[in-house]
Amino acid sequence: MLFNFATALVFLIFGGLFVLLNLGISRILQARNPHPVKISTYECGELPEGESWIQFNIRFYVVALVFLIFEVEIIFLFPWALVFKDLGLFAFVEMMIFVFILLVGLAYVWAKGDLDWDKPQSVPAPELSQSYEQKEVTETVDS
Amino acid sequence: MNPSEIIQNNINSLSYFLPELILTGMIVVLIIADLLLKKENSAWTSLLALGGLVIAFVAVLNQYDLGSRSIFNDMLAVDPFALYFKLLFLTSAAFVVLLSIGSVELAGRPVGEYFTLMTALTLGLFLMASATNLITIFISIEFVSVTSFILATYLKTRRRSSEAGLKYTIYGAFSSGLMLYGISILYGLTGTLDIYEIGTKLAASSANSLALLISIILMLAGFGYKLAAVPFHFWAPDVYEGAPTPITAFFSVGPKAAGFALLIRFFNVAFATEATNGEWAAIAGVNWSQLLAVVAAATMTLGNLVAIVQKNVKRLLAYSSIAHAGYALMGVVLLSDQGVYATLFYLVVYYLMNIGAFLVVIVVQDLVGSESIDDYKGLIWRAPLPAIAMGVFLFSLTGLPPTAGFIGKFYLFAALIKGGPGFYWLAVVAIINSVISLYYYARILKAMYFDQQDEKEPASLAVSPYYVVLLIALVVPTIFLGVYWAPLADLANYSVEFLRAL
Repeated sequence: MLFNFATALVFLIFGGLFVLLNLGISRILQARNPHPVKISTYECGELPEGESWIQFNIRFYVVALVFLIFEVEIIFLFPWALVFKDLGLFAFVEMMIFVFILLVGLAYVWAKGDLDWDKPQSVPAPELSQSYEQKEVTETVDS
Repeated sequence: MNPSEIIQNNINSLSYFLPELILTGMIVVLIIADLLLKKENSAWTSLLALGGLVIAFVAVLNQYDLGSRSIFNDMLAVDPFALYFKLLFLTSAAFVVLLSIGSVELAGRPVGEYFTLMTALTLGLFLMASATNLITIFISIEFVSVTSFILATYLKTRRRSSEAGLKYTIYGAFSSGLMLYGISILYGLTGTLDIYEIGTKLAASSANSLALLISIILMLAGFGYKLAAVPFHFWAPDVYEGAPTPITAFFSVGPKAAGFALLIRFFNVAFATEATNGEWAAIAGVNWSQLLAVVAAATMTLGNLVAIVQKNVKRLLAYSSIAHAGYALMGVVLLSDQGVYATLFYLVVYYLMNIGAFLVVIVVQDLVGSESIDDYKGLIWRAPLPAIAMGVFLFSLTGLPPTAGFIGKFYLFAALIKGGPGFYWLAVVAIINSVISLYYYARILKAMYFDQQDEKEPASLAVSPYYVVLLIALVVPTIFLGVYWAPLADLANYSVEFLRAL
């Protein structure tokens, strides 16, 4: 039992050594000639602006979640589509139920306005913060 | 097995999966209904959820004719043991829906999602009660956890509710990580994920007992988190305090009972071999029953000692529910049918009295707007019915006759004494703990019955008839089961029969 894991350990050690060895060889052989443009971050040809550690809009998170769900759906759909003919009607109905449930989810997200992108310009900033504060106050009274 | 056999097995299993399918369908219906209804009408979804629970209840009752069987290629089990818990989940979920309808906390908020998640949580509990594979065990625990996180933070504009959700999530992630590690060790030792095969393999060959012990302790992290057993209880008081009170009531009953279902099934199938006369033997090398006995003793002692100093009734009940998990664990450590039977009986009794106590908390919260014990002063003069009901529930929680709590504790102690001298110390600890619990329950009683109310408070409070009906619906069985408990005892006795071998 333990001996089987030894193979994994040897693989791990050799994998690490292989990477170190190649980096070392490249380090010895490479010609180093730094230039500001060469060492800058590659962003598809654009000039990089500012740090990459910035705050993202929280809305991306919702979009990512919805994307993830449908990504998983596709992963399930591909193998199903391959053997579709052999599986027959049952698998078809089953997959339609699956897709239907996900579509209900999409409709829900859509109808609840979670896919609407925030447009900060549409509401004047002071008004927004004021209404938010009022809401806070009433909430604390509630509780 | 070839693929077509696996598919055929899955198709055949569907008919045994009817209650779960009904709940799943109900979740979709609830989402659609929430989309169609206007925001201010979203409370109607509660009736839909209630209807779904009732239909599922009937479907579960119909399953009693089926006997024990394994479905979905040995992933889940349908047996009287699981059905008993399913009935418990459905009735408690239905009661919690009823509590939520009247709750002032939730009034004015969109509640469509709330009832959808409640139904989803119930479905998760169903899966927990019948899971027989380490993968389904893990997934069902996660299912229940994730829906619980959202429900705990449902009052999202309230600080404490958000805090509750965050703490719940962090502890949940941590304990499921530990549990997953335990699962991986167990899989490494036995080479299978099916708990029946694990049981036969462990019984046949002596595995490394240290590795086995570590895997058991890590698995216990996952179960203990659901039971709120020491030392995995830290989330409970904050979550119970911050979550909406109906949800707190549900957390203290539903996931806890489901944790017990998993714990009993897992340990008794994977780590015990059946001997004669309804007694089992733990597998060689690991004395897990003594380990659980220590956990039980620590859980009830810590829960009761910390409850003494609480000023908030919700927190007090949170610690008391930790202590009760300790009491119920006493039945599991005995390695006997009688012990499991006592635990099953106790869980139902505990569900009645605990939901009842939380109902009184909701009523007082709606009337007075506070959960502090000080605001319970003179409640008997201001609102007699909730005060009397609370008295019954607290007597029952303490375990005084003639309430159901007494019978529940009596069965536990009887099983413990019958279990032999090895567990006498646990019985002594439990008795001392019962006395301690009497002290802090009596503090609420004293505040309600003997203390003078503050003069500026209104002299009498009007309890809505809706709450009166609910209170009576919980008080009557709490007393009734203390006098005539044979039907429930028979049902619990029948339900100890769970799927032992494939």
